[in-house]
Amino acid sequence: MDPVKYRNLFLEEATEHLAEMSRALLELEKDPRAIEAIDLVFRMVHSLKGMGASLGYDAVSELSHRLEDRLGVWRARGGIDGVDDLPLLFRGLESLERMVAVVRDSAEAPPPDVALLAAIDAAPVSTPEDVGDPAPKKAGARVR
Amino acid sequence: MSSRVLVADDARFMRQLIREIIEPEGFEVVGEAADGRAVVEEFSRLQPDVVTMDIVMPKRSGIDAAKEILALDPSARIVMVSALGQEALVMEALQAGAADYVVKPFKPDAVIATLRKLTEKGE
Repeated sequence: MDPVKYRNLFLEEATEHLAEMSRALLELEKDPRAIEAIDLVFRMVHSLKGMGASLGYDAVSELSHRLEDRLGVWRARGGIDGVDDLPLLFRGLESLERMVAVVRDSAEAPPPDVALLAAIDAAPVSTPEDVGDPAPKKAGARVR
Repeated sequence: MSSRVLVADDARFMRQLIREIIEPEGFEVVGEAADGRAVVEEFSRLQPDVVTMDIVMPKRSGIDAAKEILALDPSARIVMVSALGQEALVMEALQAGAADYVVKPFKPDAVIATLRKLTEKGE
């Protein structure tokens, strides 16, 4: 495997995936039951997981895997809870964007986002009754 | 004659990687598909010896696409491409008639051995 060639392919596809994921999260902010948007985010993180694992970017594959697991639950349940689940997804997006930026700028494997992994693990799986709760104002506001 | 392979994955990265693993070993990648609908169309058009089928794809999952291809051609040889955490989906595909599976991240030797086993069996 030519590492430079595949790193460039990763950067190209990851950038596209994260842009699509961003659009889907804005859709979910408006409609927490938008299953197509959940499905799209699921596919994007699944793809990032595979590419990250292939290149040894364990931080990318691990975070993507955790998000994928949660998204699988939310997809099966019919939606997300805008109050609890959406902020986690936005944090996931921002963290993955930072990791891709590290690869782009340094050509090195990015460090893990330990705090976010812990937050995902600690977050309760919201109940079916919570599905569709709208996002609070500015819940999805992207803080940089 | 080299075995003809159709590669289905929504990630260009993965399609390219499979191509680079198998082509030096004498397999010919005759087509690529980026979603679960296109792979069924390409299968009908190209009649490949083997399909490598990613599970998570847009428009139709790899599982549904595999079932549709096997309904069209019960002798089709399909290798599911799975990732960590997809064991149940792999089992579903195998029960539906998929021939085998490989796991991402790829171990090149395992991918080649799986394709070789299937294509030699079918000759």
